[in-house]
Amino acid sequence: MSLSKIARFATALAGLTALAVGAQAQTPAAGEPIKIGAIVSATGAGAGLGIPERNGLLLAEKDINAKGGIKGRPIKMIIEDDASNPDTALSKANELIFGQKVVALLGPSLTASTVAVGGVTHANKVPQIAFTGIGPAVERERKCVAHVLPPQRLNAQALLEYAKSIRATKVGVLHDAGYGNVVMAELRPLADKYGVKLVAVEKFEIGATDTTTQAAKVKAAQPEAVFVIATSATPFRNVKQIQITQPVIAAIGSSSYEYVNAMGTAADNIAIPEFVVGEDPLPHQKAFVDLYKQAYNSTPKNYEAAAWDAAHIIASALNKAGADATNEKLCEAMKAPYSGVLANYDFSADDMTGIPIGSFVFSKLVGGKYTRTPFRVSQ
Amino acid sequence: MTLSLILQAIFAGVTNGIVYALVGMGLSAIFKGSRVINAMQGEFAVIGAMTTVLLLTKSGWPYPAAIAGGALAGALVGAFIEVAFVRYMALKNASEDSFLLLTIGLALTLSASVLFFIGRDGHLLPPIGGEGVVLVLDAVIQLHALWLVAIGIGATLALRAFFHRTTVGLSMMAASIDADGAATTGINVGRMRTYTFVLGGLLGALGGILVTPLISVDYTLGLNLTLKGFAAAVLGGLTNPLGAAVGGVTLGLVESLAIIGISSSYKDVVAFSVLIVIMILMPNGILGRAGRRGG
Repeated sequence: MSLSKIARFATALAGLTALAVGAQAQTPAAGEPIKIGAIVSATGAGAGLGIPERNGLLLAEKDINAKGGIKGRPIKMIIEDDASNPDTALSKANELIFGQKVVALLGPSLTASTVAVGGVTHANKVPQIAFTGIGPAVERERKCVAHVLPPQRLNAQALLEYAKSIRATKVGVLHDAGYGNVVMAELRPLADKYGVKLVAVEKFEIGATDTTTQAAKVKAAQPEAVFVIATSATPFRNVKQIQITQPVIAAIGSSSYEYVNAMGTAADNIAIPEFVVGEDPLPHQKAFVDLYKQAYNSTPKNYEAAAWDAAHIIASALNKAGADATNEKLCEAMKAPYSGVLANYDFSADDMTGIPIGSFVFSKLVGGKYTRTPFRVSQ
Repeated sequence: MTLSLILQAIFAGVTNGIVYALVGMGLSAIFKGSRVINAMQGEFAVIGAMTTVLLLTKSGWPYPAAIAGGALAGALVGAFIEVAFVRYMALKNASEDSFLLLTIGLALTLSASVLFFIGRDGHLLPPIGGEGVVLVLDAVIQLHALWLVAIGIGATLALRAFFHRTTVGLSMMAASIDADGAATTGINVGRMRTYTFVLGGLLGALGGILVTPLISVDYTLGLNLTLKGFAAAVLGGLTNPLGAAVGGVTLGLVESLAIIGISSSYKDVVAFSVLIVIMILMPNGILGRAGRRGG
């Protein structure tokens, strides 16, 4: 019997003992680690997503191993930075899959990189869990690529649900030319179904330093509420500067502390359909939020939770299929409902996400702080 | 389209235009004095604004002193770049493209340094003149924006007076028009080039400080401002800092009127089509040859 086999035998025994004693006595995992690859945008334009995601992954790794790993074997997270560049993401994915022989790939942070990496994972049937919502049509064919963030259609729906809840039927929209464009494409057809009339839809370029005129045009259309779909603080400041007093609803893209801090006093009263309000988490999110606060001394939000969930989803699939399962088997094991911190997923759904609209929580910014509103969409 | 919307658009255009103008004037002053196309002009704005933010919030300086400190930081960095890099490269007869590459490199380095030392977060400054607003026919104008416009116009006039009335300004012009001729009359051409970088840094920093109460400053702001400032400077005539002022305001106005006149989706298409037409009709910039004297 080789040393590693002895070790595996010992950990298996330890695992059994742990099971026998009960969930309270958790034995840390030991033995040969199971490699899981991850790609995040830790630098570049997507760093606002990638850095929180890396924190979430590292915390999940610690948590999974402390609770006994995968049937006693620890996991090892190999995290790479794609510098927000799809080409880099692709070469890192190749290295992780063929060089490091990882069993699964988590990430990347951005849609373009996800689409690029999906080409490799799909072709080789390597399970992938992306930190993005499902994007271009090609992703629908990739049945081994799960998504832990909602598709843009769901984000659009969440905005409309909130508008409905405050009885706003005339809505103005201020959106950027990237993320905003994608959400907008889903929002237009949905608005009719919700009986919402889009009275003004104004666009601005990504990184615009001023959107006052667009905001003024929205104001002139006299909407009952304003949607701002962007990944910057600028439009929010402009909306307040020209004294738009109607309720402002922001898409999840601008829900991070980074953007909210840059909004200054303009952040007040903005409503955001999102998932994790660290200041006031839902009961099932509390353990994660407390653990995160303890580890990083800061409050987590959606992207930290998404990465944490992704790591646990793959761990649960590994537990089901076994660490030595083939790629296909692991992929199949992943395709099941999963109750995560961020949302209740169902990866057997057609979009490989299956997040119900009821998983959204709606926060409001009061004095620059997030407060959770009682509003939830009933299933 | 209501009158108040038009007014709001005009005012937004002028406010943005003045910021473009300040960046463009600095760019054009540097080009005029050294033939360097300064691709890091927007970074001067970031340096000025970030220094002001740090002096105000971390060191607790009074606001006016922090503003002066921020402007001085821009000027000092400008001087440093000339002394440390440009002077040496000029001695070796570096080409214009080498200088362009130098400033592109510096722009990336400075942006990365801000990210590394200060972080990703956007920072705001308090508005000059308080949070108040002026209502003109329902168009909302912030007091700070009025100050921005006033200070911007003041800086433009001061720049003109500087180039026309002061010995240093006239010497800088002479050194830029004919370096050998200026040297024979006893003008220290190298020092004049340092001054143009000081001036460029000062104007860029001023633009950054003035815009930061309206939009937050972070490490990515520089490139956006450089591009707009460059368009402003070319539009007005690259060798004429006053032209950049006219170019900046024109660009700001065309952009914002395109939004209300046509559609925000076509804003850049319209704005840049207008600029192309202007450049075809007036290849030397809006102020044209006449402006060359004025700079």
